[in-house]
Amino acid sequence: MKDMAKTSTAGVQRRQGISGEPLGPNSEIGRKLKQYYDELVSDDVPDRFAQLLARLEQAEPGRQKD
Amino acid sequence: MAVSQGFKTDLLGSIPSLRAFAMSLAQNADKADDLVQETLVKAWDKHASFQPGTNLKAWLFTILRNEFYSQMRKRGREVQDSDGIMTARLAVHPSQHGQLDLKDFRSALERLPEDQREAIILIGASGFSYEEAAEICGCAVGTIKSRVSRARARLQEILEISGEDEYGPDAISAQVMGKPAA
Repeated sequence: MKDMAKTSTAGVQRRQGISGEPLGPNSEIGRKLKQYYDELVSDDVPDRFAQLLARLEQAEPGRQKD
Repeated sequence: MAVSQGFKTDLLGSIPSLRAFAMSLAQNADKADDLVQETLVKAWDKHASFQPGTNLKAWLFTILRNEFYSQMRKRGREVQDSDGIMTARLAVHPSQHGQLDLKDFRSALERLPEDQREAIILIGASGFSYEEAAEICGCAVGTIKSRVSRARARLQEILEISGEDEYGPDAISAQVMGKPAA
């Protein structure tokens, strides 16, 4: 059932064509853009950022715990 | 008012998206991470001005973007004007017919002017609405729409997506030389 719903959504998007959803899943540019970006998002985050936030927290004058 | 644990957790959680956006803008991993670092420090300092319940990611992206453009100005680099640039002429020829590979796409993206690149990233990849993207970029919704459509058209042109394989790199060089491509 879920697959059928998916298929029909894709069909609608395809019928809308280029003007309907210019960066949608049926656009080559749209797909590549997501692939490019998802790869960047899934990149491992270096420790320096967690350390930075920990330092900022240490420096807080009236820091609260909740 | 002290920074709450919740805010800190949300900041941590947004780092992957911030890094992706920073990379898209700066095109350089070291610069991108410096931008993210600066963004986190600024966000921490200004946390009181964030309204809980509003979009933290959009707020952070705005800070990061402002930081990016202010650093570019400090370096004395002109912010690219999308109307005056010849990027589209420097075409990437897809490595295989009908198969657009990610490397080609990346280098095509790098050739877009910043304003177009950020618009197409915000709309097509980061999942922001046109309204949110307009707010992040400090411009009108219509401006974002036109940047996205120019970015898309330019990417298609660089990557020769709609055309068949008749325009090779040689045809593109011919265009650079001012001869008709056909």
